[in-house]
Amino acid sequence: MNLKSALLGAVCAFAMAPAAFAERGTDGEVKLTFPQAVSIMNPYLSSGTKDIFAASMVIEPLAGFDDTGALVAKLVSEIPSVANGGISEDLTSITWKLLPGLLWADGSPVTAADVIFTGQYCMDPAGGCAQLSKFDGIKSIEAVDDMSVKITFNGPKPNPFTAFVGSTSPILQKAQFEACLGAAAPTCTDQNSMPIGTGPFKVTGFTVNDTVSMEANANYRDPAKPAFAAAVIKGGGDAEGSARAVMSTGEFDYAWNTQIPPDSQAAMAAEGKGVFVVAFGTLIERLEMNMTNPSADLPEGERSTTKHPHPFLSDINVRKALSMAIDRHTLTEVGYGAGGTPSCNIVPAPALYASDNTGCLTQDIEGAKALLETAGWVDTDGDGIREKDGKKLSILYQSTVNPIRQDFQALIKDWWTEIGVETELKAIDPSVFFGGDAGSPDTFQKFYADVEMYANNFDGTDPEAYLTQYKCDKAPSPENQWQGENMNRFCDPAYDAMVAELSGTRDEAKRAELTKKLNDMVTKDSFVVVPLVHRGTLSAHSNALGGVKINAWDSELWNVADWFRVK
Amino acid sequence: MLTFTLRRLLLAIPTLLFISLIIFLLVDLAPGSPMSEIPLTVPPEVRKKMIEALGADQPVFVRYILWLRQFFWVEPANLIDGWFGTNLVGGEQRILSWQSRSPVFTVIGQRIPQTLTVIGTAYLVGIAIAMPIGIYSAYRQYSVFDQIGTLIAMIGFSVPTFFSGTLFIIVFAVWLPWLPTKYDTTLAVTDWSSFLQQLRQMAMPVMVLALANAAAISRYMRSSMLENMGQDYVRTARAKGMTERVVVLKHVLRNSLIPVVTVIALGIPSIFGGAIITENLFGVNGIGAALIGAIHANDLPMVQTLAFIFAVLIVVFNLIADILYGLLDPRIRYE
Amino acid sequence: MREAVSDLVQVDGLKMYFPVYSGVLRRHSGDIKAVDDVSFTIRAGETLGLVGESGCGKSTLGRALLRLYEPTAGRVVIDGEDVALLRTEALRKKRPTMQMVFQDPQASLNPRMSLSSIIGEPLVEHTALSTAQRQERIYELMDQVGLNRRFANRFPHEFSGGQRQRIGIARALALNPKFIVCDEPIAALDVSIQAQVVNLLEDLQDKLGLTYLFISHDLSMVRHIADRVAVMYLGRIVELSPRDDLYARPLHPYAEALLSAVNEPDPVRARTRQRILLKGDLPSPANPPKGCNFCTRCPKVFARCLSEKPSLFQVEGGRQVACHLYDPAKPSAGSTGGFPHPKHLQQGVSE
Repeated sequence: MNLKSALLGAVCAFAMAPAAFAERGTDGEVKLTFPQAVSIMNPYLSSGTKDIFAASMVIEPLAGFDDTGALVAKLVSEIPSVANGGISEDLTSITWKLLPGLLWADGSPVTAADVIFTGQYCMDPAGGCAQLSKFDGIKSIEAVDDMSVKITFNGPKPNPFTAFVGSTSPILQKAQFEACLGAAAPTCTDQNSMPIGTGPFKVTGFTVNDTVSMEANANYRDPAKPAFAAAVIKGGGDAEGSARAVMSTGEFDYAWNTQIPPDSQAAMAAEGKGVFVVAFGTLIERLEMNMTNPSADLPEGERSTTKHPHPFLSDINVRKALSMAIDRHTLTEVGYGAGGTPSCNIVPAPALYASDNTGCLTQDIEGAKALLETAGWVDTDGDGIREKDGKKLSILYQSTVNPIRQDFQALIKDWWTEIGVETELKAIDPSVFFGGDAGSPDTFQKFYADVEMYANNFDGTDPEAYLTQYKCDKAPSPENQWQGENMNRFCDPAYDAMVAELSGTRDEAKRAELTKKLNDMVTKDSFVVVPLVHRGTLSAHSNALGGVKINAWDSELWNVADWFRVK
Repeated sequence: MLTFTLRRLLLAIPTLLFISLIIFLLVDLAPGSPMSEIPLTVPPEVRKKMIEALGADQPVFVRYILWLRQFFWVEPANLIDGWFGTNLVGGEQRILSWQSRSPVFTVIGQRIPQTLTVIGTAYLVGIAIAMPIGIYSAYRQYSVFDQIGTLIAMIGFSVPTFFSGTLFIIVFAVWLPWLPTKYDTTLAVTDWSSFLQQLRQMAMPVMVLALANAAAISRYMRSSMLENMGQDYVRTARAKGMTERVVVLKHVLRNSLIPVVTVIALGIPSIFGGAIITENLFGVNGIGAALIGAIHANDLPMVQTLAFIFAVLIVVFNLIADILYGLLDPRIRYE
Repeated sequence: MREAVSDLVQVDGLKMYFPVYSGVLRRHSGDIKAVDDVSFTIRAGETLGLVGESGCGKSTLGRALLRLYEPTAGRVVIDGEDVALLRTEALRKKRPTMQMVFQDPQASLNPRMSLSSIIGEPLVEHTALSTAQRQERIYELMDQVGLNRRFANRFPHEFSGGQRQRIGIARALALNPKFIVCDEPIAALDVSIQAQVVNLLEDLQDKLGLTYLFISHDLSMVRHIADRVAVMYLGRIVELSPRDDLYARPLHPYAEALLSAVNEPDPVRARTRQRILLKGDLPSPANPPKGCNFCTRCPKVFARCLSEKPSLFQVEGGRQVACHLYDPAKPSAGSTGGFPHPKHLQQGVSE
């Protein structure tokens, strides 16, 4: 072994400049486990995080995000900017310059044609590309020369770092995928499961929904990396089993998505074989208030539509009181432990965009009661439920079937009962709730309830598209087959105007300010959205694995090339 | 016997077609959609396009007819192409999984070996444990051995595999670090040490399932033995002055095996069906894990195809059980 | 043992109780007294008929004699050895001497064994015959019972009821037994076949010098085959008499009632005959009456019957009866029978 690695090192030393003391392939095998198994290695055909993370070890975008959310160059020599001329003054185009001498794992050179092809691949109307929104507003992608690509947009694009940026938008090899355009995309089974990439590893074996076997890419651009000669991702089981395999039995080095009950977390961490790491992205568990009347007495087609405002949730005092009654610290402790933190924002990160909104963090039951009292919601008939003008504060509160959510529902119901609000709970199968079937009354878009709870986030670091969801015209309704993202049917012309202003603003500081304002408008100013917990992704790695830098803005495995065995 | 078999096979065709329609409709009408797997960050227009690309927006009967054609023509044709290098398929689409976009039969082909090794071994081990327990329990009915056997069978019946599995993991992997908790499907058995490795990783899922299987089969064995033990011909055998060994193992056991063998044959489709919970728990990538994964992801083509294959296996093994019954019991003749 | 020369079978105080368990803890709460203190002898070459209504314990008695059940108490001396005491292996060796022909010829034959293996199995176990010799013996036995040799490889279900019973008999004969218990051998057969089988049994007895215990509820058939007849009621023998005496003049009121039900072939006598109809049901053998077992239904019941169990005693030339009517003097006569039994045995273990 020693002789072998010495020889290998010698070969490397001859072939390349001796860059670092670390050597490629000297640390054996790194073993990862995901509770959900990898189905496909092509992020353009899958929006599943498991698939995107696994693929990120093999295929790479032009640039990615580091653990702070800042852009890092991957296949290009520098991040384009207006200053270095990579982005045109009018923000209508961006030019990427590929690293010279870059090779695919099969030894062929990476060229502009590959980038252009990847664009065509995703933008083909028949392909059903999952990342199509990343290519929004692109007019053309063309080669300036063999090694540079120019992307031209339909209009000024303040954030041009969507296409080919981040692990959701990697570059595919044209030679491999040429026959897989459009309707043929799903039939290219071999290509989709064993794509040729530029990443630190290359796929050697793939069994659907089970195991991905990889070995170090001999043509990886950094000759000293990766330290591991091989990698394997074993999928399946559950979060508990994955966590156990790293933290208790030590069979695996890294487990993604090990969200287990806080007491189990503590017990496993105490064994001292590994550590839990949390990636806090932008995922917020929240309550959405229905601003329209979901009453079943209304004719079908008018329930939960803007035709009828909600009988009591349209009163801001009620919404505010409901928020005040909640103890977010308790919720976090009960549900997520280290994997969550209480929050009052719908844009909790990156730091630049996060509002300093902390008013909701202290529970104030008495304050909530007083608020309702002064607003005229009093319990006149002594049944413990407040009413006003014959309207009782009686809430139908729905969420998906999920043990943590049911705990949350029970706790929140108790607090609301204490302030005189009657609460009925409902749990819906997630595949129905999120299924978007216009024929089902139980989808989160239809919102045939007063309050609903789920988690949402935004992709990458830019919240613009996410904030756009609360515009008046995004409300789901029978007219748009209940498609839309403004579940609350919140409608404020001032908000819409500010969103328009945001999309026209290029200055970073100004964008941040607008974002915070928009965030506050739907949260602390109106209590239309009541954020509860900022959820992270809990992962675990063994103490024998070094170099892990948890990252919420890109694939967690973004720096897998730097991982090494702690000896 | 031959005419009987042929007639039954012919009858099975309309039955299976009907079953396939029912399965298709049931799976399709069940709540949930592949949309629910797409994260909320994907905008509605893109979701719609993705659904269209899957063909999931087509009416259910169009998809059913297409699926029938794929199942009964494209897939067999593809198999023949693979064997003889012909080109019968001619570029027609095979049944593709919505989740992985790979052909459903490729996935099944990858998974059958694991399922057969692990679940099949568990079944055999279960039978091997169950037979002697059932026989001896019946022979010494109400003895201490029988009571303990009954207790163990009750435990095997009533303790769910996710519980016994987790318990085994805690004991044999966490407390005593003897066995791995995750099945390594890439392990190739090439030499003695890799064979041992294979045995070690099979040990826990096999134990868990064998316990459950043994519980059921030992009860069948016991009751069948008891039923025969009281028969006149057993008294005859004793009156003949046969040894107890001969009485029990030749006279009683051979007659008691008839119903047990058919029960075992009827249980074989469940080997192919895999063990959803156990496979999932130990990371054995078998058919059961594929099915549950597909159900979670609303991967309808996968679920429908697997469910239909199970239906076929059940029909076939029912027939096999009937034929076995005829072969084992000279009193039964099929015309 | 004094009479061992002429008596092939001596039964003395045989009891066969089946324990009853009840309650949550399955405590032993009583016994079903299927056979309760029975004594009799069978001479070599004789046929003893055993009659009684169903449920009276006849079959149990037959099985207990051959130790197909473990008797609760009593002695069963067959050909000089007490079968009730033999150890397992010795008993197995003893089995060729005593055989049984069962009531249901279908159920008593192993459905998965061919005729030749059914007949041949005991030969393998108990003799050292070569395969060819064994086959010859099988054919010989088949000839004896009138089965065509071609049938040797057929299975039991391929035969008719009468043929199956012939197989059962051939099987029983295979090891040259001395004593055969025929447990209702003709009950399951068509009337037309019954006579054939009974005649076969008689022929075989003549040829092979067999001793039979012939259990039946068919009184006319018993009259045809038996030398002496024992009448059983609720686990006890109530009368044991030579055939002709019994049929001419039954002593015990139960025997009288039983025989009055027999079809009388003579139309003149049939017209004058009076049937005695018994009232009530057979009492449960788990809880027999305190006095005479028959006292609940006896047309001639009197005070003593209700308090004291009569035991079997000799009344006249070779006739034994268990009835207080025939006890001339003493309240508890016991020593007049062939086998004097001690007092404690009579009382049994009733609770």
